[in-house]
Amino acid sequence: MEKETQNSHSPIGENSPRIDAYDKVTGTAVYADDIQFGNALLHARIKRSPHPHALIKKINTEKASVLPGVKAVVTGADFPGYIGLYLQDRFIFCRDQVRYVGDPVVGVAAISEEIAEKALDLIEVEYEVLEPVLDPEFGAKPEAPLLHPDLGQYVVAGFIFPKAGTNISNHFKLRKGDVDSAWEKCAAVIEHSYRIPHIQHVPLEPHIAISKVDEKGEVTLWTSSQSPFAQRNLIAQALGLSQSDMRVISPAVGGGFGGKAGVSMEALAVAIAMKVKGHPVKLCLTREEEFYTAFVRQGLVAHFKMGCDKDGKLLAMQNTFYWDGGAYTEYGVNITRAAGYSCTGPYEVPNVKADSYCVYTNHPVGGPMRGFGMPEMHAGLEQCIDELALQIKMDAVDFRKLNCLKTNSILATGGRMHPIGLVECIEKVSEAIAWGKKISPSAPNKRRGKGLAAMWKAPAMPPNAGSSAWVELAEDGKVNVGVGGQDLGQGAFTISAQMAAATLGVPYESVRVAAPVDTRYSPYEWQTVASRLTWSMGNAIVNATRDVRQQVLDLVAEAWGETPDELNIVNGVVISYKSEKEIPLKNLVIYGLPKPDGSGWRGGPILGRGNFMPTDVTGLDAETGQGEHGVVHYTTGAQAVELEVDLDTGRIDILKAVAAFDVGKAINPDLVRAQMEGGFVQGISSALFECLQLKNGVVQNPSFVDYRIATAADVPPEMQSIIVEVPQDDGPWGARGIGEHSMVPTIPAIANAIYDAIGIRFEGPPFTAEKVYLAMLDAGIVKP
Amino acid sequence: MAFHKINITINGGLEQVVVPSNMTLMRMLRESLSLTGTKNGCSAGECGACTVLMNGEPVNSCMVLAVECDGAEIVTVEGLADDKRLDPIQEAMIQEGGVQCGFCTPGVLMSSRALLDRNPNPSEEEIHQALVGNLCRCTGYVRIFESVKKAAKKQRVTS
Amino acid sequence: MSMNTHPALPEFEYYRPETLSEASEFLARYPAEARPFLGGTDVFVRMRDGLLTPKFLVDVKNLNGTNDLRFDPQAGLTIGAGVNMNRVIASPEAKAHYPLLVEACQSVASYQLRTRATIVGNICNASPAGDTIGACLLFDGVLHIHGVNGLRQEPLTTFFLGPGKTTLKPGDVVTSIHLPLPPKSCQGTYIKLGRNKLSDLCLVGVTVLGHPHPAHPSGVRFRLALASVAPVPLVVAEVESSLANHTITPEALREAASLAAEACSPIDDVRGSARYRKQMVKNLSAKALSEVWGKLQK
Repeated sequence: MEKETQNSHSPIGENSPRIDAYDKVTGTAVYADDIQFGNALLHARIKRSPHPHALIKKINTEKASVLPGVKAVVTGADFPGYIGLYLQDRFIFCRDQVRYVGDPVVGVAAISEEIAEKALDLIEVEYEVLEPVLDPEFGAKPEAPLLHPDLGQYVVAGFIFPKAGTNISNHFKLRKGDVDSAWEKCAAVIEHSYRIPHIQHVPLEPHIAISKVDEKGEVTLWTSSQSPFAQRNLIAQALGLSQSDMRVISPAVGGGFGGKAGVSMEALAVAIAMKVKGHPVKLCLTREEEFYTAFVRQGLVAHFKMGCDKDGKLLAMQNTFYWDGGAYTEYGVNITRAAGYSCTGPYEVPNVKADSYCVYTNHPVGGPMRGFGMPEMHAGLEQCIDELALQIKMDAVDFRKLNCLKTNSILATGGRMHPIGLVECIEKVSEAIAWGKKISPSAPNKRRGKGLAAMWKAPAMPPNAGSSAWVELAEDGKVNVGVGGQDLGQGAFTISAQMAAATLGVPYESVRVAAPVDTRYSPYEWQTVASRLTWSMGNAIVNATRDVRQQVLDLVAEAWGETPDELNIVNGVVISYKSEKEIPLKNLVIYGLPKPDGSGWRGGPILGRGNFMPTDVTGLDAETGQGEHGVVHYTTGAQAVELEVDLDTGRIDILKAVAAFDVGKAINPDLVRAQMEGGFVQGISSALFECLQLKNGVVQNPSFVDYRIATAADVPPEMQSIIVEVPQDDGPWGARGIGEHSMVPTIPAIANAIYDAIGIRFEGPPFTAEKVYLAMLDAGIVKP
Repeated sequence: MAFHKINITINGGLEQVVVPSNMTLMRMLRESLSLTGTKNGCSAGECGACTVLMNGEPVNSCMVLAVECDGAEIVTVEGLADDKRLDPIQEAMIQEGGVQCGFCTPGVLMSSRALLDRNPNPSEEEIHQALVGNLCRCTGYVRIFESVKKAAKKQRVTS
Repeated sequence: MSMNTHPALPEFEYYRPETLSEASEFLARYPAEARPFLGGTDVFVRMRDGLLTPKFLVDVKNLNGTNDLRFDPQAGLTIGAGVNMNRVIASPEAKAHYPLLVEACQSVASYQLRTRATIVGNICNASPAGDTIGACLLFDGVLHIHGVNGLRQEPLTTFFLGPGKTTLKPGDVVTSIHLPLPPKSCQGTYIKLGRNKLSDLCLVGVTVLGHPHPAHPSGVRFRLALASVAPVPLVVAEVESSLANHTITPEALREAASLAAEACSPIDDVRGSARYRKQMVKNLSAKALSEVWGKLQK
């Protein structure tokens, strides 16, 4: 596939040091809040709805407008355009209705944040409170209050199916085989429901956006972003601008996890800036606002029914998902779809019926979060698999190995699985956790258990999400790679440089990535989501670098009277295997080469370009969810944990955490392992601690004090990250993604281990000490 | 609101800054002195992204008033490296992969630097305790621990 | 409150008095508008949340020796108001003579916060969840207070009136807490339950101090204090009396733990339920008492 440059040390598969680490450890990496804007900078604050559901009757901004220092006060009346990624269901500022606590109603720009904050108190908003929808199953019922009466008129992507006149913004259906008659053939059937609560991404850097609109009406937006191009597209559309009149720049991103994808608060800054032309306007979310007004991970009510034959072969699954999509589901609708087509988990099941509903509620806005529906879905599904294995008296690992997808297995959506190493992942993980070997608890008041879970996920994106890259060189022969994908810390820039270096034949150290991503200069990238960059952007980079290589070899071949296949580039030098002539790249990449007869020059500045877009993704039938090639590929894997339950307090101690994922090819194994470690700990955190506590639509714990995340003291003492490599035939060097997958099977692995330890299952995470203890008390395992 | 003129040593250099009563040390560093290496993650003393050394000890600079720092010695992440030479903890963080998005990194470096100053050979548990006030969402802390251990080892070898 | 949290601290005047007299005079002059502060870790957070709106914040650190940490082999340990918790933890005398207090300090928040947090501040904040208050109560701590009428002393036992409420009057500045010499051979433990392993607030806290006491039929004196399960930090007298009169056996310790659970009145809140807390008081009291008994027997 890739022509590995011979005799050149290729960094592919090497633990090349992070290209951006130096700036980060010296404090010189520039994040959006670090940019100096000078004295013209204005600061914005937002007045937000205190009600989960209400009509806006009157807004009085008089007193705020005349407060000294206030330069602009804007409301939804100024911005009639809808905005949304897959479904345009949202206004930038609310117009006549508020749908969640925190919904933006008024924006203020002032010369200081303090004055803007004071101005908010001077704004009077009159509401007529309406009955809220606080549960997705209720929200799906015909008697529930209608949150989006205009749903039927919203602009919507072709693969999303809203039900006008209801709160269902997407209904994904999967019908395969004949589930109803399959149950009779099952030797064991289990049915179970789970409630997965809302959680939040909690990036260390809260959302931030600074926008400036010049007198011509051209917009610049600086923002911590996973999606500069998508933000340009969506915000321009909503404001009636031409995309080319909007420029989005994203400096270093302090964590994203999906929360900084699509558009959330960025449009607010642009909208306000339109009223104070010439001034940059900065909007920062406080940590508290980050918890309840930025994207959150949707809640899920999941009903599973599954059955297998006497040999343990899965025969049927009937899964119904009610997604608590929140006030706006412009992004969340696709999570519903992804869960729908992935509803069987990584198993071959001949008869499947699935209904995945995205339901509007008056809760915070659900959006993409690491795993995109997979952690929420696997949380219950992988527990059901364990229960079914138990019922059929089969070991949980053996049950999974029997049923899991292998190369050429038939998928729930009808296509066939490409080569994958899922069995190898399950085997390696069960070996690493010493599956089957029982170890005594460390103390009389502990119970010990082991649990395992498998997973799959495909990048959930439109069928034509594209990547592009450019490559140029400087007079010193060093390489500059332009990309539109973002390094959020996962290492995208680092592997970009590795891939360019390997393709061109230059040392890794001589490649730079042109950052920050700036839509004016960077090439297009759909979004940094879906764990798609290594594969998609990687292919684009390889194509662009090959373009450079070809131009160089063609030029030198012509100059030397040789053919390009007699030439190679090794360590930045073009060499001829035929004549043994050599010329360093730097001698030809800008000024070309002179013609030998003195008649002029040939060549010129070398510029490589490449793109990549999937071309063979088919749709999925609206009624059956079947399609030959519904997604580009899957990453699969497994995790296992060994833990102890403290009988005195209910606290869970994870002793050992092992993971194995089939990444196709680890371009940088250390970065892959770092994703596996980080994702596992984030998964543990979501399993044991995290929950946005919602009461009557109000988040009760929007702060670090009461929204607990894993600290340095909560890391399992033993962690193992195993890389499995079954190549992806259309991935660069066989690579596919890993960023999200490492968080997907964690909740059920822990839940299965808890069951092994104390024989109890829960309706959903987090498995807090209190929840576990009171369950043990109620079950008689401990005495009051 | 009154303004106060304070004398404060930042990374070895004496500065004179005029600050309002309600300005935190974090805001003074970032806004008055353009030392943006120290990060604002929560403004509530919970996440540790704003950790600096005050008179040699780690504090959450969002929980210290600038006016309280009259006469104090402050070290920020910008003061760790010695001209071009990185502090062992910075080097270790690069080598061991303890950095991902980098937002928690300055605070982690300051807490780690102070730990190694007071305890050159910390145990695993002592490292956890020293860093429990520095939240990280990306790394899972694993490689941060390895970085601290590596820096400790290197310092013991060179001292 | 977190829903309306401001990005920055509201406006106020910072005032740093030179002497205790100045401080008391100023605070008494503006009883409703002036508030003293030490480390600020509670005050600043509540000001950002809009719960406190003082016009003046009075910095009472560094006043007439309030920064001193002094141990007198005859009299005991005096911890100045401005002494941060890390200093107490690092103090050899504190470690040698009041290890229970050191243990309690170590459980607080994070290293960074302990550089600012003070024991006196913890006490004046009067949160029933205060981690160090139990140890101070069991060590018979006495507060030294400077007010408009000069200096006075107040034992901790009468200091707390309710959540956030103390006997302090306008003009009062606590200058130090004094812990008399602990009884010979005393042993203690502080068990803190948080939602994750470290750095959390106290969901339930059990402090136990025990020492040989020939005057008691049991030969020992046990004292137990609870955090986060009553409107004030709670010393459970029933534990002391029940373990004074009978031989100490595992059953007697468990019985005492039950008494502790009965004595407390936890509430349901965002951190935990009353039911869970009550159970934890029982379990953790049993554990703490048993641990201390074990140490005493060595």
